[in-house]
Amino acid sequence: MKVYDSSTGTASSPEQERVKVGIAEYEVTTSDATLTTSGLGSCLGVALYDHGAGVAGLVHVMLPSADGVEDPNAAKYADTGIETLLLEMERVGANRDSIHAKVAGGSDMLDFSENGSGIGVRNMEQVESTLDDLGVPLVSEDVGGDHGRSLRLDGASGDLTVKSANKGSKTI
Amino acid sequence: MEVDIQSLETFNQLAAEGAQQATAMLAQMTGIQAEVEVTKITLMDRADIGEELAGQELVGIGFDLEGALVGDTTLVFEEACTGPIVEALPGGAAGDEMVESSVKELGNIMMSGFIDGWADFLGTTIEHSPPEYVEATGADVLPAADDPNEQVFVFKSHIEWPGEDLYFYIYMLPAYDQLTELMADSGTGEDAVPVDKLSVFNEMTKEGTATAAANVTQMTGIETDAEVTQISFAPVEDVPKQVDNKAYVGTAVEFSGTPSGYLMILFDEESAMNVAEALMPMEPEGEGFTDMHESAIEEMGNIMTSGFIDGWANVLETSVDHTPPRVVHDMGRAIIDPLAAQVGQHQEHAFIIESHMQTADLEFGCEIHALPDDAELRQALEELDVARKDETEPDVETIFE
Repeated sequence: MKVYDSSTGTASSPEQERVKVGIAEYEVTTSDATLTTSGLGSCLGVALYDHGAGVAGLVHVMLPSADGVEDPNAAKYADTGIETLLLEMERVGANRDSIHAKVAGGSDMLDFSENGSGIGVRNMEQVESTLDDLGVPLVSEDVGGDHGRSLRLDGASGDLTVKSANKGSKTI
Repeated sequence: MEVDIQSLETFNQLAAEGAQQATAMLAQMTGIQAEVEVTKITLMDRADIGEELAGQELVGIGFDLEGALVGDTTLVFEEACTGPIVEALPGGAAGDEMVESSVKELGNIMMSGFIDGWADFLGTTIEHSPPEYVEATGADVLPAADDPNEQVFVFKSHIEWPGEDLYFYIYMLPAYDQLTELMADSGTGEDAVPVDKLSVFNEMTKEGTATAAANVTQMTGIETDAEVTQISFAPVEDVPKQVDNKAYVGTAVEFSGTPSGYLMILFDEESAMNVAEALMPMEPEGEGFTDMHESAIEEMGNIMTSGFIDGWANVLETSVDHTPPRVVHDMGRAIIDPLAAQVGQHQEHAFIIESHMQTADLEFGCEIHALPDDAELRQALEELDVARKDETEPDVETIFE
C-alpha cells in the first residue's frame, strides 16, 4: 500500500492521477487522485472519503471475515479491510466523524452455494456491520444482482462511478 | 518425490518477494514505481513457456544461477520500456549503445534483489552469472529448451508500469530435480502432493482439452490447435488475475467427486459469436449477441465440460459429476472472482488448471480454467497412485487407450 499525496502526483499533468487497486488491496489518496478497481464479482469495493480533510480510500475485499485465519492479508476480508483502510486514512489526516462510505459489488453471479446465502450477500452483511461498529455512515450502495462491476472513485468529490459490462454506468 | 502444500506456498512467496525486491531496486535506480501484478508457480511443458509473450518485441536480460538454486532466470522487458527506463536513470541518455549497457546494469541490480530472499531462506549463497542481453520476439527471449517436451516448474512474475501501460516479466526456470528436492526438504511432509503425479495430472488435462477441442471441431467444423495446458499454484486473491478483464462469454459449473471444484469454459466475445454462429442451423435474428447465441454457447459449454471432466474421471476411476452449466457474459475477472472466493473460504492458495486452444484460420480463442479443492486434488493424486500401483510408471498413453 502506498499513500498518494501531492508529492508523488504529476503536478504538470492536467489529468487526475489514476491509481489501480487490485484484489485484496487498498489505496489512500490525499491528492484527489482517482482510485480504480475492476472485475468485482462477489467481491466488494468499499470507498471511504472525508471531504473536509481531502482524504479518500478504496479497498477491494474478497471474503467476509478474517476470523480464524492465521496471519491474514487484512485487505482480503471485509472486516479487517475496512478497519485497516480507516486507520490509514486517519493516519494521514482524515477525521472518523466526517468519513462517509459507499459500497458496490457483491453480485451473486455464479454462486453455487446450495444452503444459506452466497458470498456476495455475506460480504455485504459484513460491510454493513463493520461500518456500523466503526460509526461510519453508509451513504449509498450498488450491490447484488448477477453482473460484474468496475469502480472509479473520484478522490476530490467522493463520487463513485460504477460500470458494468452490460448495464452501462452510474454514479452513486 | 513428495512436495507439501506449505513448501509450494513458501516458494511462491519467495518468488513474489523476490519480484517485489527487484521492482524496488528498479524504483531506487530510476524512480519508476512499477507494481508486481501477480507471481505464480506453474508446472507446464518446457516448450510452452513464454507463449503469452507471442508476437511482442522484447529485451531479455538472462542470468545463470549457481549454488543452492540452479537454473536460468530472465528479466523480460517490452522493447518499448527500455527507452523510458534508460532516460530515467541518473545521467541516462537514450543512445542505442547506451541502452544495452544501461539495461544490463539495471538488470544486474534487479537480479541481486530477486535472489537475495531465496539465499536468505535457503541459508546459503546463490550466485548469478554476468547478465546476457537478448533482443527477440516472443518466447525466443527466454533460453532455448534442452528438452521441449519435459514438464518443468516455472516461476513467473508479471509486473506493470502504471501510467505507461508497459509491462515486464521475470521468468525463473530452476532445474527441476534440484528444485523439487529443495521443496521436499523444506516441507513438513504434511499435505504432500506427489509432484510426479502432478505432471501426470497435467497430461490428463491435456487429454481432456484435446477431447474438448475435438468436440468443438466435430460440432462447428472449426479446427483448433495450439492447446496449452498448465497447472499453477497461487494465492486465491491472485486467481482472478489469471484472466483478462475484457468481456467473455462462457459457462461455469461446479463439479463434485474426487476432486470437486469449479470449471469455466470462456470465449472472448468475438470467438463466442463465431462458435455460436457455426453451431446455428440458420442466420440469427437480431443484432449482436442474441439469445440464440447464448443457448448455442450453453450447449457448447456443456459438451466441452463433459469432455474435459470425463477425461479426469476415466483416469482417476472415480465419478466426477457436474451441475448444469450456467451461462455468463461479463468481465473476465468478475466471472472468476466468485469462484475463487468460494474456493477461498477453505484455503489460502489454489491450484489453477488452465488450458487454451486457438485456431489460425479465424478469430477463435477458448480458455478452460478449473479450480479444484486442494485437499481433494491431493486425494485424487494419491488414489491415482494406488489405482496404478502395478504399473511402474503411470502412462497416460495406455490409460487413455
